Amino acid sequence: MSTIVATLGTDRARRLRAALTTLLVAAVAVSAPFYFAPFQVFQLTMVLLYAVALAGLNLLVGFGGQISLGHGAFFAAGAYTAAVMLDRYDTGHLATLPVAAAGCFLLGLGFGVPALRLRGLYLALVTLAFAVFLPPLLKRLEPVTGGSMGLTVDKLQPPAWSGMAEDQWTYFVVLAVTAVSLLLARNLLRSRVGRALLAVRDNESAAEVMGVRLSLHKTLAFAWSALFAGVAGCVYTWVIGFVSPDSFSFVLSITLLAGLVVGGLASLYGPLLGAAFVMYVPSVAQDISEAAPGVVFGLLIIAVMFVAPTGLAGLAGRVRGTAARRLIRTTTPAADDDRPSGSEPSAPPTPADPAAVDAEPVGAPPRPEKE
Amino acid sequence: MTEPTTDSTEAGQVNAEPDFLKVAGLHAGYGQARVLQGLDFSVARGEVCAILGPNGAGKTTTLRALCGMVRGRGSVTLNGTELLGRSPEQTARLGVAHVPEGRGTFNDLTVEENLRIGAHVRTGRWRRGSAERVAVAADLERIYDYFPKLRQRSRQAAGSLSGGEQQMLAIGRALMLRPALLLLDEPSLGLAPLVTRELFEIVRAVNEEERTTVVVVEQNAQLALDVAHRAHVLEAGRLLLSGPSREIREDGQVAEVYLGVSVRSAKDGGAP
Repeated sequence: MSTIVATLGTDRARRLRAALTTLLVAAVAVSAPFYFAPFQVFQLTMVLLYAVALAGLNLLVGFGGQISLGHGAFFAAGAYTAAVMLDRYDTGHLATLPVAAAGCFLLGLGFGVPALRLRGLYLALVTLAFAVFLPPLLKRLEPVTGGSMGLTVDKLQPPAWSGMAEDQWTYFVVLAVTAVSLLLARNLLRSRVGRALLAVRDNESAAEVMGVRLSLHKTLAFAWSALFAGVAGCVYTWVIGFVSPDSFSFVLSITLLAGLVVGGLASLYGPLLGAAFVMYVPSVAQDISEAAPGVVFGLLIIAVMFVAPTGLAGLAGRVRGTAARRLIRTTTPAADDDRPSGSEPSAPPTPADPAAVDAEPVGAPPRPEKE
Repeated sequence: MTEPTTDSTEAGQVNAEPDFLKVAGLHAGYGQARVLQGLDFSVARGEVCAILGPNGAGKTTTLRALCGMVRGRGSVTLNGTELLGRSPEQTARLGVAHVPEGRGTFNDLTVEENLRIGAHVRTGRWRRGSAERVAVAADLERIYDYFPKLRQRSRQAAGSLSGGEQQMLAIGRALMLRPALLLLDEPSLGLAPLVTRELFEIVRAVNEEERTTVVVVEQNAQLALDVAHRAHVLEAGRLLLSGPSREIREDGQVAEVYLGVSVRSAKDGGAP
């Protein structure tokens, strides 16, 4: 037992653990639709697709240090791209994905331009304006968008060979899109572009002195972020089969941002937790109070931020860190036991200094959460 | 104008390119405040040059003007290329690496990621793919050899390092650029004397092994003069004194400047 604990902090153990976690998560994710009722599978599907949007927003807000209150608009743009293509041109579902992604990337590039001149609250205001003005615009463009009636299109249908029900097939398609998206986001962050993005967030002038093009990377952050939101929107159309301007009011943008913050900014799996929060908590709130679910939802957000100021992901990391330290302390030889347990801040029993530090940001990236 | 003639006399014995970095008539400031009022000096290739002077003399502003963080008038050429009027990002691409005052490390990134940001401009182009990547990996090792402490901490967040280690990281990051010109702004700021000495020894080693031209701004004149070949003393945005470090150290004027006594030499009096 103690040898297992002693190797907990090492590199190999970390990699092994990461592989095991991945396998476990994959197994659960793949088997889930066969154990749950169709409606629950649908809810899971929605969690996955919101997670894509949140991962995109995370690139911009969490890792890029910018802000957007208008991501619902990119989501809507992706959704409408898919709906219009399916409705008017009768392309297959799959064809809509690259178009929505590329379209939103370009839209994001365009939107990155004001981001170069504005920051903080000013940027928030401009992006909010985008989210506010899009639904009326969609209503006006009736010949293409179907106006306030919206568009009804085909949902994803399972091919005969799969033998799956519609909800299961949809779930798996969305799971695949989400997995690829999250992987892409992760690799993006570890690439040269991602490093530059983080450097700009950390210290703009130092990044510039090192030759990082601020304008390029800030704009790119917007573009990538919009791409993910667009992909999520496109998949939304596949799942729901209906889009209308009212589905994408500016409340969606606020909800996305709230979900991200609750889930955990600048965390790789924060978007998943945030998406689950956004998906499930409103219905929990509904159960608690029929009259004012919004109030309960808001109170729950406040409660989470109070308990976990770094979001649910940060809370999970902290709990795991404490658990690991407890484990190490209780399993190290008796010599330490007669030490008064009050004097623990410097944690003497941990084997070597680097290992102790390594034990903190267990899990995904070598990059620790912001405190 | 101070006379430039004293500049290129003794450094010439080491060097064929006395005007590798040439600053002529440099004016710079922040908004209304004009800090530099016509500065002239040259730095030879492969030389370590110290810029000394009391607080507010314009030392930091000089460095910022060289790397483009502050707009300047006049002329600054590096190996014949004009640097003024370029952004910091452009001067970095021309090989100017600036280690800003207060280090400017990226605290949420790991040590290694910080170093890789240093090589950002080298890995930009598609066509320079794999060969450059190998070179960057080799440079990373080289930096770790200079700063073994950074190797130990390569996966730690830069924010968790001590002040001295962060300064090492900032210098290492700048070296990853393979700079033609390394600008160091107050490397001793907030560090223990022993750590500062260690840092300067490394700067000397880097200069000797890589032949990197270094301009260092420093409050600790004694230390800077130990490492530098030449020194320029600023006062109130003007050049007060230039010469080989040995001479500057023996010159009584320096002490007076650092004591805050305004010494107006004859040559300085002629400036407008």
